[in-house]
Amino acid sequence: MVSKGELLSPPGSTRLLLGNEAIARGALEAGVGFVAGYPGTPSTEIIETLAKVAKDLGIHVEWSTNEKVALEAVYGAQLSGIRSMAVMKHVGLNVAADPFMTLSYTGVVGGTVVVTADDPNMWSSQNEQDNRFYALKSYIPVFEPSEPGEAKDLVKTLFDLSERLEHPMLFRTTTRISHVRGPVTFGGIPQIRTKGFFRKDRPRFTMIPAHARERRRRLIEKWPSIVEALSSFEPFNRIENPGNKMVIVSSGLAYSYTREALEHLGLYDKTTLVKLSTPFPIPDTMLEPLKDAEKVLIVEELEPVVEMQVKSRAYELGLKADIHGKDLVPLIGELRLDKVARAVAEFHGLETLPPNISGQSSVDNIELPARPPAMCPGCPHRGTYYALRKAVNKARVKPVFSGDIGCYSLGVLPPFQEQDTIIEMGGSIGLGNGFAHTLSDQFPIAIIGDSTFFHSGITGLVNAVYNKAPQLIIVLDNRVTGMTGEQPHPGTGVTATYEETVPIDIKKIAKAVGVEYVGEFDPFNIKESSDTIYEAINYVKNERKPALLVARRACALEVDRRAKRKGIENPIYQVVLDKCTGCGVCYNAFTCPAIMVRDDKKAYIDETLCTGCGVCAEVCPFDAIVKVKEGDPEWYDLWNI
Amino acid sequence: MERLNIIVAGVGGQGLITLSNVLGKAAVNSGTKVLVAETHGLSQRGGSVEVHVRLGNVYAPLIPVGGADILVGMELIEAARFLYYLKSGGVTVLNDRVIKPAVPGVIEPARDDLVNYISSHASNVYLVNALELAERAGSPLAQNMAVLGALVSTGILEGFVSKEAIVRVIKTLRNPEVNVKAFELGFSETRRLK
Repeated sequence: MVSKGELLSPPGSTRLLLGNEAIARGALEAGVGFVAGYPGTPSTEIIETLAKVAKDLGIHVEWSTNEKVALEAVYGAQLSGIRSMAVMKHVGLNVAADPFMTLSYTGVVGGTVVVTADDPNMWSSQNEQDNRFYALKSYIPVFEPSEPGEAKDLVKTLFDLSERLEHPMLFRTTTRISHVRGPVTFGGIPQIRTKGFFRKDRPRFTMIPAHARERRRRLIEKWPSIVEALSSFEPFNRIENPGNKMVIVSSGLAYSYTREALEHLGLYDKTTLVKLSTPFPIPDTMLEPLKDAEKVLIVEELEPVVEMQVKSRAYELGLKADIHGKDLVPLIGELRLDKVARAVAEFHGLETLPPNISGQSSVDNIELPARPPAMCPGCPHRGTYYALRKAVNKARVKPVFSGDIGCYSLGVLPPFQEQDTIIEMGGSIGLGNGFAHTLSDQFPIAIIGDSTFFHSGITGLVNAVYNKAPQLIIVLDNRVTGMTGEQPHPGTGVTATYEETVPIDIKKIAKAVGVEYVGEFDPFNIKESSDTIYEAINYVKNERKPALLVARRACALEVDRRAKRKGIENPIYQVVLDKCTGCGVCYNAFTCPAIMVRDDKKAYIDETLCTGCGVCAEVCPFDAIVKVKEGDPEWYDLWNI
Repeated sequence: MERLNIIVAGVGGQGLITLSNVLGKAAVNSGTKVLVAETHGLSQRGGSVEVHVRLGNVYAPLIPVGGADILVGMELIEAARFLYYLKSGGVTVLNDRVIKPAVPGVIEPARDDLVNYISSHASNVYLVNALELAERAGSPLAQNMAVLGALVSTGILEGFVSKEAIVRVIKTLRNPEVNVKAFELGFSETRRLK
């Protein structure tokens, strides 16, 4: 990640920045004073980067409980007149959609930008929804950059625009902007305002029906002035090579693919290329080239958001051009140079593509073992899943594991396969509330992480108690938001800027909302864990009420990092080859990535990967894994949370 | 050459992003346009990872299948997996190492079969024992720098980014001495197989 010094480099410097770091720098150059969000790939580094410089610049940066809470906090901050930014991944905007949809009714006081990081191809997401659609239904303009450097400039411009128009702006980045590094040239960072004043205006800010109807009317009246303000929006919107009969309209990142594809095909000069950063609203000025066009191609990633608007406007304007879009450009997944080149070639009537952009390979495939992501060596979730399977078998129940979003989603994979549904944040307990009342001879077990529990598990838990849903809920508490890179959350006792705060206790929450059976176990102790889960299953079966267990152990990545930083030594385990029978329990049933297989099927431990958790020693049926060197006493403390 | 497309393939945690980042920074410092596309999130948990590094007159962040000039394999299974990115007759730089995927009942392909398979498609093949060189330099974690040294030794980066510019960036990393040493060992002790 970019260092504090690099991020605060003086104006005129050019640095290699991750798109998300560029977005953070853009917000600083705009004078952002308040930033809130919830971690989610591919958005996370925006807040992490800003949190790093928050204290130096005096700005407020927070990880909020969830995206809705983040956007509400931003709502309040901008009403105090402070430039504010809410940051979330695409599905996070679903959570924040309620305040988002009313943001345009009240309008804003301080410049306000909502960042949505979409994930075409679902590299780390449950769907690939195109959040540009949110703009259409909320009357909030949406902007998308073509590369990291432009992302920085665009974010900065949006704060000015937002404040001038008293209207919120939606900034849509995608994985291939957010997680691409490119050169970024810095502007200056102004004096940042962090304290303001809320000017009361109840007809504007209290959306009772009478007020809301008036605000809705004003919004519709105001809209043309917003479109007009974007009629000249250079260099983000521009027309390259005007005057050609062949016109391509490309939006956001699609411009970069289109531009390069045209160069490879030698068609750049023969094509009028409309570079769009405003997929909604599309100013008429950008559709000028369509008037004399014979053929038009719309290139955009995912849904035909621009295409639908252009076709509709072309009809209104009586344009004759033949308009193509998703008939040539794939609807599913992220764009690639070869996909766009193929669409552009077909549009221009070319039959063959140069081999280097054809997307074809002459390589004959060979069979290779898959390498899916795996839970880390020392990950406490592995112990939990191992113990849970044992407990379920012993209790002779047919489990339905309603899963959730986090590293523990990897429990869906062999050998554990203890995630039967993974839908959205908080969905484990949520779906469990339905399973609990409807399964006949199956048994619902919800599995949720600590950060996810705070994000949206609590409301489902209250419902489980209120509506008497007999389900076992296991909270995997590793005291960190693990999958997105170990961010703090309400249970950790520190904020985004690593200030100390009150750590909120999951078990106390469960007891407070009326869960009568609340327990915990240590996933490094398989026997104890399995017995505790077994008893909880019987309680739910017999009492027909929800039970909640907390599995408590620190995230192995956190422990490893802290141990390395402080020079704390971990214990070392080895396989005694005379005792090892090659049964494979450790590498096939427990599957720690640090355990390797010899040619004779016996196991050995890769010391460079092993964290020393020692759970494999308990799992081994032949006591063949032994501790050969004791670790420092402080090392054991690192795991206790 | 107008553009240079490099695919870096390996296992999450092997330092692919740092390797690509060093290359990218050196390019920016040399005034060469660069785009580095990474995989984050779930994939980094020991899964297979691909990083796209593009130098020169580039706009698009991703290299098309069959469009890479160079394949840098931090691990042989992953190098073989992402071989389809390499143009026919491209260059490969391979870390001579196989890492078992953490999957139950997995059958590990033989090292020689992997090297032969990759060699059949590439015109130039370079092999480096990065782990051994990194350990010699002082830390197994520096194996990514040994692989970077191997990549530079092929000469294919000339005109885009210089060895000196890369070394200057490596010196800004944590443990600069170990990392520079691993890089230099990779640079001098890479074998050309083909």
